[in-house]
Amino acid sequence: MKPWIYPAQWALFKMDDRLLMMFIGAIVGTCSGFAAVVLNHSLLFLLEWLSQWRQHWWAFILPAIGAALSSLFLEKVVKEGAGHGVPEVIYSVSRYGGLLRLRSTFSRLVSSCLTIGSGGSAGPEAPVVMSGSAIGSNIARFFSLNDRQRVTLVGCGAAGAISSIFNAPIAGIVFTVEVILGEWTALNIIPIAIAAVAGTEISRALQGNQIVFSHKVFAIDMGDIIASIGVAVFTAAAAILLTHGLRSMHKISGKVRAPMWIRAAIGGSMVGIIGLSLPVVLGEGYHSVHTMIEGNFSSGLAFVAIACLAKIIATSLTLGWGGSGGIFAPCLVIGSLVGLAYHRALSMLWPSADWVNEGCFALLGMAGLISGMLQAPLTGIFLIVEITGGYAVILPLIMVSAISATLCHYIEPSSFYLKELVDRGHLLRPGTDARVLSDLSIKELLETDCVCVSQNMSLRDFVKIVENSRRNYYPVENDETGEFVGMLHLDDIRPYLFNRMLYDAVLVGQIMNPHVATVLPDEDLSKILRKMDSQRLFSMPVVVNNRFVGMISKATLLDKYRKELMVQTSF
Amino acid sequence: MKLTIDEVAQCLDVPLSTVERWIRQGRIPVGKSGGECIFQKPILEVWAKKHNISFTLSDKKVKKHSQDKPVNLFNAMAFGGVYYGIEGDSVSEVLESALKNIAFLDQDEKETLWVKLLEREEMASTGIGRGIAIPHPRIPLDESMEEPVIITCFLKNPLDYRAVDGFPVFVLFILLSPSIKTHLHLLSRLAFCVRDASFVEFLKRVPDQEKLLEKVENLEYAS
Repeated sequence: MKPWIYPAQWALFKMDDRLLMMFIGAIVGTCSGFAAVVLNHSLLFLLEWLSQWRQHWWAFILPAIGAALSSLFLEKVVKEGAGHGVPEVIYSVSRYGGLLRLRSTFSRLVSSCLTIGSGGSAGPEAPVVMSGSAIGSNIARFFSLNDRQRVTLVGCGAAGAISSIFNAPIAGIVFTVEVILGEWTALNIIPIAIAAVAGTEISRALQGNQIVFSHKVFAIDMGDIIASIGVAVFTAAAAILLTHGLRSMHKISGKVRAPMWIRAAIGGSMVGIIGLSLPVVLGEGYHSVHTMIEGNFSSGLAFVAIACLAKIIATSLTLGWGGSGGIFAPCLVIGSLVGLAYHRALSMLWPSADWVNEGCFALLGMAGLISGMLQAPLTGIFLIVEITGGYAVILPLIMVSAISATLCHYIEPSSFYLKELVDRGHLLRPGTDARVLSDLSIKELLETDCVCVSQNMSLRDFVKIVENSRRNYYPVENDETGEFVGMLHLDDIRPYLFNRMLYDAVLVGQIMNPHVATVLPDEDLSKILRKMDSQRLFSMPVVVNNRFVGMISKATLLDKYRKELMVQTSF
Repeated sequence: MKLTIDEVAQCLDVPLSTVERWIRQGRIPVGKSGGECIFQKPILEVWAKKHNISFTLSDKKVKKHSQDKPVNLFNAMAFGGVYYGIEGDSVSEVLESALKNIAFLDQDEKETLWVKLLEREEMASTGIGRGIAIPHPRIPLDESMEEPVIITCFLKNPLDYRAVDGFPVFVLFILLSPSIKTHLHLLSRLAFCVRDASFVEFLKRVPDQEKLLEKVENLEYAS
């Protein structure tokens, strides 16, 4: 026994496990901050190294090679699915108490580095979130912490990653609480905050304290705020377009009968072809965001609109066909393009009006697209404020984020990250009905105080059993095999009960109900409840291999459900 | 005070597997030493109160009680004892002199019991016919009594007890039980015996204690 790996037993942490969480939270935040810095640097290196070949006509092969390599790496080496990983993290948090594999700490880093570095249109943020979360989860497992502490540490990892990669601690906290965990409690907010601070500090120490997209000061007046509502509408439309594009590309690529890596290569080469004429779509695109916010993007309205569509298509191609990366960075690029296009259109319609600098609209567009895509308005607001250092734009920013998130919610009730989970019924936010039902198992609800009776028992013998038992339901079993053959309810014998003549004439097997709906012990509780509701049942027998093991009833379920809900919700 | 996981499950009235899951998910405060879980009662009580969950340790005792072997007539009668030649000209006098004989009650208890028995008689006679009466308090005695008792009292002179069939009563079965459930149980057993005409004849001969108990035991086994 190695005592040091049980920090819960250290004298300091025995006093209060919150101290322990703060301590480990700082470690997790530091580690995931490192992961973000590493990915950032390797991306820069790869981009520089590959730039010598960019101008050749065959450069469109580069994204194809990158995507194929990343797909091969994920499929063959680490054996994980493609995609950005955020839904996996959310699923693990809600279903498995935040358990993630050790290899997830680096797998997405490598694959997304290959995809993005070679020119694929995707972002490095979601992969960093995945690896940060996996770091948190595995540190929790190393210290043998319980599920709730592990979920908090997964959140710490995600917060540290986002904080570090954007140099934006508040965005890290808000993203974690709003998207990853779905709740904030007095217990988890401090470790997450500490992790966010640690992650930011790591990134500042290694890369310097720079605001990612610095810009001039904008002077905003009432007219601009009203005009920003239009930005919200357009960004919401772009977000929906991107969501649908990603999904339909995924469907199309699923129909192609080819190995994963070939599909990824096809997608990559198509992105490369688009990139030949519109290099703005390639890579994570931070450079173009930069120029747009500074107001130095010289092209006209038509070009901006086309670039915007092209970026949407390129992102769908990259991610939908099996490349690896997140949607954060593409959202920022598309958002700023939408904002820019909107500004160009405005100044064309009302050339006399004194509009604020186009960079401001690009910034609003980013916030709108992030909020719409993730349906997380707070994340959009804080992220943009922090990465642009532009507190001056906060008023239109709030408007755009809120409106865009709501519009998207009307059209697509579940966000891009959650869509898959919701479709499969895997989204189990804390304190919800689905969560409580998924935590309870049939084993915990089983009532085993039923008396089994034999099929060939006479009514006289059965009445004696009824006299001495407390239940209304009696499972009936086959004498020889012990198999479950049906149920007998007290109501079933009522017609015969007061006629003693029939006591020896009627057998249990004759009056029982042989066609009862039964339940398997590993069935989903929500399914069982639906079955009970549709057939108006109050209780059901649980049967394994034709043998009766117990009853499950709504009364017990309510009792246990309420207890579970109380234990889960109040802290 | 330290509790085991089984005790905690019992106190919270949840299955063991639920407590195990709560430990795994970190929902319940628990200390670990080696591989074992240790629960501190005061901490758990605070936790339960915060979550508005009932946490009662006494559950266990209640369960134990209900699991006791069913009381039988023979034990109750043997415990209560048989008394002969009780004197008195009215119901209250008879009951008073009958209670005087009881060894296991002190003076105060005898008086309160006497009042209770009379109260019950005023409501309706406990003479169930065939010369037999079963005086008992309307509400069972408090929990201080652990086992039910039947005190058999043969009267010196048969007494008009306002019984249902008008026959004078010659024997009293004073029925004292800790709960209504055992009371009803003993009552049904007693009624079963009394329904047997030969048993009543046997009683009329005023048998001594040994023979009476033997007869009761036989009757009980026969049923």
